[in-house]
Amino acid sequence: MIRKAALILLATAAMTGLASADTTAPAPNPDALLRAAFDNWRADSSQADMTMTVHRPDWERHMEMKTWTQGDDDALVRFTAPAKDAGNATLKKGDETWVFNPKLNQVIKLPASMLAQSWMGSDFSYNDLSKANDLLTEYTHKLTGSTKDGPHTVYTIDAIPKPGAPVVWGKRTVRVREDGIMLGETYFDQDMKPVRIMTTEKVSMIGGRDYPVVMTMRPEDEEGKWTRIETKDATFNQSMPGYLFTLSNLQNPRN
Amino acid sequence: MMDRLRLLLPLAWRNLWRNPRRTIITVLVVSVGLWSILTFSVLLKAWSVSSRDTTLKLMTGEGQIHATGYLDDPTVAHRMTQPAGKLENILSSSAVAAYTKRLRIAAIVQSEYKTLPMTLVGTDPARERRLSVLPDRVREGRYLDGPADTGIVLGRNLARRLKTRVGKRVVVMAQDEKGKLAERAFKVIGLYAAPQQTEDQFAFTGLKTAQAFTGIGTDITEIAFVTPDSQDIADVIARMKASSPGRDIQSWKTLAPLSYAVSTFFNEFILMWLWIMFALMAIGIVNTQLMAVFERIREFGLLQALGMRPRLVLMEVTLESAMLIGVGVGLGIAMSVLSVQAFPNGIDLGFLGRGAELVGAGHILYPKVDAGDFALYSLIVWTLGVVATLWPARRASRVSPVEAMGRF
Repeated sequence: MIRKAALILLATAAMTGLASADTTAPAPNPDALLRAAFDNWRADSSQADMTMTVHRPDWERHMEMKTWTQGDDDALVRFTAPAKDAGNATLKKGDETWVFNPKLNQVIKLPASMLAQSWMGSDFSYNDLSKANDLLTEYTHKLTGSTKDGPHTVYTIDAIPKPGAPVVWGKRTVRVREDGIMLGETYFDQDMKPVRIMTTEKVSMIGGRDYPVVMTMRPEDEEGKWTRIETKDATFNQSMPGYLFTLSNLQNPRN
Repeated sequence: MMDRLRLLLPLAWRNLWRNPRRTIITVLVVSVGLWSILTFSVLLKAWSVSSRDTTLKLMTGEGQIHATGYLDDPTVAHRMTQPAGKLENILSSSAVAAYTKRLRIAAIVQSEYKTLPMTLVGTDPARERRLSVLPDRVREGRYLDGPADTGIVLGRNLARRLKTRVGKRVVVMAQDEKGKLAERAFKVIGLYAAPQQTEDQFAFTGLKTAQAFTGIGTDITEIAFVTPDSQDIADVIARMKASSPGRDIQSWKTLAPLSYAVSTFFNEFILMWLWIMFALMAIGIVNTQLMAVFERIREFGLLQALGMRPRLVLMEVTLESAMLIGVGVGLGIAMSVLSVQAFPNGIDLGFLGRGAELVGAGHILYPKVDAGDFALYSLIVWTLGVVATLWPARRASRVSPVEAMGRF
């Protein structure tokens, strides 16, 4: 009889313990978490020096670039090395994307048909640049799990396209740290088979904040192919000159 | 005259079979030659009909109406209002068997794996069905069920290239009314089978869906129509042009120039083939008839010595040739008819694979005996053959009896 009472007590204690664990760490709002990740990543404005490594089974090349972003809509990327690629630049403003090729000395507005093509031969497409915040606007988000990683909690969020959203993916799964660091993203096709996987390989302090400094994109169907983007240096929330995101600056850099 | 014929006909017929081997060879030359002409004409005609039907019945119709400039730049910028007034009257009159209204625009389709160019066609399935075979060529899933259907029907090959299938979602991008990029997700509801080029090019959705997608209200970009057999298409088009001067109205001859070229080329080709074959046949016939005449010089001399007039000799030899070639022609016709009958279910070009599509033919040719063509080509061969043998016949009639009787 006493043993039975003890058991009940124990069980009750365990249950209340679980309940209290729930209340002490409330499930965060997945929308807010993703917004935080984007804010961390791009801030109000950002300026960064990056290198991009495109890896293929039998070759690999490195490119260096400078990037500027402002808000969700404006972005400018200019390649600085190697000499072969230096000067190539991509400007995204609102819904439109232009590229500048110094050898042709021409600015070309990208037609919709080309937005899905590879950007500078990498595993990223122009769409990855120009539709980066699709994830926030065209999907509904659901928290599906969390894991502990040292002092941090990593949340997994499933992003399901809203009905009728012009999106080809079946879903995207995003892993975000509780302080808004994007740790990875998997793109699934409509059979829920992973198509491409982006992972953050290193998080460190840059520009006064924790930042995902090394990110790698791997297409699932092709072995030995990946593209790594490494942020060397970045500053955030500095005011950007008005000329920065203009076609004239794209063609004749003032910075 | 009748008396003479009664005398000459059996004589000529018997003469034919005095040397059966030579006669049979000549008959074979004629019959095989004619057989090749007739069979070719049937095959090429089937090919050209198939090519025309394949093109016209897939999408083109017999004529199309567009806004001026649309054919050069198929976007919503060159759209037109729904047909009204006189044009509408002609379209709904008995001069037009069926017509369909389409919104047909250059677009881009995107799946998880690929982005491809294509042409989006918004249509009303009930109308489309009356002039296009594509609605009934759906191999998987279903066709559109109305002008407001929001699904998309893709060609099999396009779906394969996109790595998508029925039930999945694709994103279509096109220029909208303001010249901006419109994007929309469509659910794939069906896959149709057609020549590969068509499969890769056209994707169908409801007319109203496409209009809403591009934001152009009730406007359309294309009307395709077919006319009843009794109507002259050129006449109908002329009347339409008169009724609405602002529109670009064309017949299939300009819209599908390859099909038109194929059909005209084949007619020319048959005639060329006929002349080549005839030249070969003529050499064979004239040669054997000349031989026959030289062999029988003594006989012709004797006949003339017995009182037969040279004109009758000429007639006799010509009758011989007419019979000889006549038998050959008859045999040739019989062989051609049999050859055509041997393929009651058409000739399946499946063994050519998709190559046959390149020259515009459908997968199955349906050869059909055209009595008019057969009669015409046979008559040409027969007449020309007889004319050619006038030469040996004349030689026979010019034989001098004295000289001929002196020969061995």
